[in-house]
Amino acid sequence: MKKSLVASFLSLTMILGMLSGCGQQASTASAQAPVADEATAEEAPAVAETAETADTADTKEDVTITFMASQDWIQDAEMELGEKFTEETGIKVDYQIVPSDQYESLLMTKINSGECTDIFGGQSSKFSIVTQFDVEKNAVDLSGESWAGNVEPAAAEELSAGGKLYGQPIQDVSACWAVAYNIKMFDELGLSIPTNYKEFCDVCEKIKAAGIIPIYECVSDGWHHVCWTEAAVAATKADSGYPDALNENKATFEGNKELTTMFSQLKEMADKGYMGDNYMSNQYADAPASIASGEYAMVLYNQGLGAEVNAVDPSFDVDNIGYFVNPLCDNQALNVNYCGPSRFIFSGSKNIDAAKKYLEFMASDESLAYMTENVGKFNQLPYTNAPSAYSKVVQDFYDRYPEKIAVFQASVKYYNPAWMDIGADMSAMFLGEMTPEEVLKDIDKLRAEQAAAASDPAWK
Amino acid sequence: MNKNKTYPGYFAAGALIIYFVFFFLPGLIGVGYSFTDWSAYSDQLHYVGFENFKTVFSSDENYMKIITNTLSFTFITTVLKNVIGLILALLLTKSIKLLNMHRGIVFMPSVLSTLIIGMIFKSILDPKAGLLNSFFRSVGLEVLAKKWLVSSELAFGSVMAVDIWRGVGYIMTILIAGILSISSDYYEAAAIDGAGGWQKFRYITFPLILPTLATTTVLNVIYGLKVFDMVYALTNGGPGKATTEVLYTAVFKKFGTGQYAVGTALSSVMFVIMIFVGIYMIRVMTRNEVVE
Repeated sequence: MKKSLVASFLSLTMILGMLSGCGQQASTASAQAPVADEATAEEAPAVAETAETADTADTKEDVTITFMASQDWIQDAEMELGEKFTEETGIKVDYQIVPSDQYESLLMTKINSGECTDIFGGQSSKFSIVTQFDVEKNAVDLSGESWAGNVEPAAAEELSAGGKLYGQPIQDVSACWAVAYNIKMFDELGLSIPTNYKEFCDVCEKIKAAGIIPIYECVSDGWHHVCWTEAAVAATKADSGYPDALNENKATFEGNKELTTMFSQLKEMADKGYMGDNYMSNQYADAPASIASGEYAMVLYNQGLGAEVNAVDPSFDVDNIGYFVNPLCDNQALNVNYCGPSRFIFSGSKNIDAAKKYLEFMASDESLAYMTENVGKFNQLPYTNAPSAYSKVVQDFYDRYPEKIAVFQASVKYYNPAWMDIGADMSAMFLGEMTPEEVLKDIDKLRAEQAAAASDPAWK
Repeated sequence: MNKNKTYPGYFAAGALIIYFVFFFLPGLIGVGYSFTDWSAYSDQLHYVGFENFKTVFSSDENYMKIITNTLSFTFITTVLKNVIGLILALLLTKSIKLLNMHRGIVFMPSVLSTLIIGMIFKSILDPKAGLLNSFFRSVGLEVLAKKWLVSSELAFGSVMAVDIWRGVGYIMTILIAGILSISSDYYEAAAIDGAGGWQKFRYITFPLILPTLATTTVLNVIYGLKVFDMVYALTNGGPGKATTEVLYTAVFKKFGTGQYAVGTALSSVMFVIMIFVGIYMIRVMTRNEVVE
């Protein structure tokens, strides 16, 4: 009798537990209707709790938006703004940061399988946003948003297809990949800014002789060493019609004199030990610390490295970092690129309105000012309502090179989508598995594959 | 046999339908797609015959190296995991102090996430600041401090070594179970006959754990052919063009760049290899079985 009583009591408790569990689930589900994935569903009670305790609970949304981006694209300052955005709107932002060498494959797999995050980060480029992301199908038209008119025309052009704006710039695109150097170290060694490749090699030799590694390079990230190829502007300077000829499939990378020289010089730099012993395993994130330590003298970086080094070592003066253009192929033109990491809203998202609110928040005067103040490398975000923060050193750098030429990512079709593959080829070149000529031949092949897949008439 | 006591065939229908719809059919469709130009860039699908297979086997491409890498990875890790697992299993079935603790320590890597192990080892094997090279330098063995994951000579070996370290505990556990199931009577009889340790292993332990070894071999081969996460986390197929690229990292990249058809063709090639390996292994394993 006693046993059956206990059993009945336990059964009753279990049934009640199940019922209350189901009830709770139902209420959570109804409150969390637009939630996209399991991870966000788990966060649902926390979101609900925040919403209940806030004063303006009625006006706040109980939604979590997901935002996937490559490492280094989402700054701490953006996440801090994300918290403020949550406080104001109740919409939580789940940042999914992916190692840069794996990002592109993961992003394209997610887009192509129709299971992307609400917002995804992607490189802008009027060519690749169509051929690679197919933004007209996979991204939301943002032309009608309140901030759309504030995006600088040159940056907006790289984010537009068919006259519609599909993305929002994340970073300062006025900055370019240039050789950042330790000014004090250069002064102590009696070095001056090189104006061609030979002078650059002389500078590297003197630095090396002083027991310092001349250049910090980080091949393991898969993308940074490819930035050296922005010296390809030398090929455009030699023949201004070359990018168009490449786009019309009337020219190839293979056999181009400047490009062959560029890759050969890059290999030579590695072979001569200008990049040290660990350039294959170094990581981009460690660049500021490596410059701060004095172990390295230079690194290919965008403007703003001074502030990042200063953040690592406050005794290192922000203005102790100067810049000169990438001197491969004796280049002396500024390699401009209005393409850069951008935010896109996935067309299959269930939280398009919430994602639009986030983009609107990030493009507000206050947010742009906050990002400029708190991210060292952001001097001038590409919005008309963003403040300017060029230091004298950076301004001097831009003034020194009056000639500006667009980089291949912006001017040549199917170059940007092949970036990581080119990185793998260059890595093979450093290891001696491929010659510079073979790398160029492979770039032609990679571009042809992309063009064929996109049914480009120029490749038929 | 009483026919009334056997279950009718339609009892299996549910399982068969589920298996056909969710396993067999998608596989078949996948093979079918490898004969098309399926890609992310076009909604149109055209039959292209063996074009994708020509690409896979073309000398201009790296795919043969990728297939060779996958097979080498499978063969080497299977052999070494079995050999090291067997040695550890033999050692850890003796009467030693803190036996379960030792077994637990060796088994522990098997329960950790492969991706986490990959990330930890990426840090340990860093040539400049990694734990391994720092240790070698601190004891004066600078010559042994190598570029484990970023040199074309060592990267593949390093990836395999980490995978063996991760998987050997699991194999050891299975083999311990096999060794403990051998009756002690055999060993006592052999001892009376004057057999030494090696002879006991050679004539008692080894023949009696062969079925267990066959099981661990099958598990290792299947894992090796399908390996993805360990390579992805440690090298992502690099350094260089395809130093450590294996089949599933290549398929993942092809899908990432929207070239689905080549990706499915690669999978189909692997499917055929797996069928042949599977048939061969089943034949070898069932060769000495007695049919009751």
